[in-house]
Amino acid sequence: MRAALALALVILAGAAAGAARAQTPAEQVARGIRAYQNLDYDSASVMLATALTQQDSALADSDRARGLVYLGASELYREHRDSAAALFGRLLRLDPRYHIDQLVFPPEVTGLFQQVRLVTRAVAVVVPPVSDLHSAGQALSIRLYATTLHPVDVAVLRPNGMQLRSLYQGGVGDSLQLSWDGRAADGSAPDSGRYLLQVDSRGSDGHVVRSVVLTLDITRVRPDPLPMPAPPADSLFRRETAPGGSGLRALVTGLAAAAAVAVLPAIVTSWSSASTDRFVVAGGLGLAGILGFQGLRRPQPIPENIAANRALELTWQRRVDSVRAENVALQQEVRIVIRAGAGRVVEAP
Amino acid sequence: MKARGLWGLLACVSLSRPLAAQVPRFLGLDLQVSRPRFQSTSPGGGEMLSGLVAGGRVRVVLRPVSLDLSYSQGRLTADTGSAAARDIVEGSLFLSARPVPWLALKAGPHLRAFAAPGGTERWVLWEGRAHADAPIVQGEWLAYVEGWVAVASSVNVDPGAAGARGAEAGVTIKLPHSPLWGRLAYVVDQAQLKNGARTESVQSVVLAIEFGGR
Repeated sequence: MRAALALALVILAGAAAGAARAQTPAEQVARGIRAYQNLDYDSASVMLATALTQQDSALADSDRARGLVYLGASELYREHRDSAAALFGRLLRLDPRYHIDQLVFPPEVTGLFQQVRLVTRAVAVVVPPVSDLHSAGQALSIRLYATTLHPVDVAVLRPNGMQLRSLYQGGVGDSLQLSWDGRAADGSAPDSGRYLLQVDSRGSDGHVVRSVVLTLDITRVRPDPLPMPAPPADSLFRRETAPGGSGLRALVTGLAAAAAVAVLPAIVTSWSSASTDRFVVAGGLGLAGILGFQGLRRPQPIPENIAANRALELTWQRRVDSVRAENVALQQEVRIVIRAGAGRVVEAP
Repeated sequence: MKARGLWGLLACVSLSRPLAAQVPRFLGLDLQVSRPRFQSTSPGGGEMLSGLVAGGRVRVVLRPVSLDLSYSQGRLTADTGSAAARDIVEGSLFLSARPVPWLALKAGPHLRAFAAPGGTERWVLWEGRAHADAPIVQGEWLAYVEGWVAVASSVNVDPGAAGARGAEAGVTIKLPHSPLWGRLAYVVDQAQLKNGARTESVQSVVLAIEFGGR
């Protein structure tokens, strides 16, 4: 009879273990929480500890945080205060922004959690996954959330570990907003590559106790130059000269006026008193007529067409100058795309 | 009487347009030098003098008329004989209108004085003028002819003025790359005293620089 009972327990235990193995870590956390709520702290501790020993990837951060807080509470009620404090510290390092629900947990649990928060120096770093800095004034937004007031150093490091730019050195309480223009300390744009955003939390003795490191994949993008405007088509230009005329009218006008000057004294006074000075004027008029005759036979410029063509060329030249200036500006302008990776916590040795 | 009629005609022309259209459109300014030859002939003989005269003209162009005010002054000295040197001073004020683009009609007083040591001879001529111009090269070279008669005249010398007439011809050239125009002209006029007592003529070659007001 005893042998049969022992055989049955072994079979039941084996079945229970098999059932536990068949559950996902999230389901195990849920069972552990139900055990805690049923005041079965020992079972809750076993189940939650089992679930939390799974690989990180097997449990979502939110489930891991819930499991840790319930496990810490269970350990506190099992009189394992140090273990509970360690679990709360682990929870705060996982999520420095975590706040315990005071409606769910009694004051002794929340009180211990707050005590642990006060001595745990950890920072959560929130950076947009992709930032496109394409004009002056734009910057990468960096937000820090701290567990408690403590000093931090925030810097961007080159791929070789050298500092590219120090962003902040000082205390952080609840949260801190920082920004980075994507430039090195000397204002130059960094080469494309993988950089690191490192936030060091310092302890009361000034030593770094913990660092959060994010990868920043930086890509420099030079905008393509604008194409030069094409010169105006020949069909847009007007004809600048007209075929020359006969010029006869100019010749006749000039010679007629010269003749008039020559005969004016006879009309007004008398030939006897005529001054020979008038032939200077008559000669000038005659010469003007001859020059006009010759000049008008040549192709004649069309001033309005010439002006229109010059205006067309000027407009095109202004466009070329404008595009050239824009291209010079574009060459100086560097667009920076920053892709932020997931943060990882590095504990000080 | 004739002068009054001419003035009345020009006044009618100027007032036939609304007053608002008569605001000055532009102002012209001429500076000129001329070399006049003065010849006086009388039954008893004559005299010839020449010299240099400088002057200027201001033209206010109203629509549809324009107003020309001119003044010149110089000194004449005897070319031959022992004629006394004298100053010549002239001034005129003409109101002109262009009934057609190539023709301008002008009217107004023309004053001339010869100031000699023995006294000053003063002429007051009320003139009517016709000015015709024609381009040699469109917009750049302009030939012109102007003729005038004195519709009324007076002089402070006995036996009084018998009349006067004159003419002018020349060329106006726009100086390249400049708002200035150059003018070369020949001017001749003749004034007579009554009863053929004396005839005076002045012939001048004029060189002028004009600014605006064309």
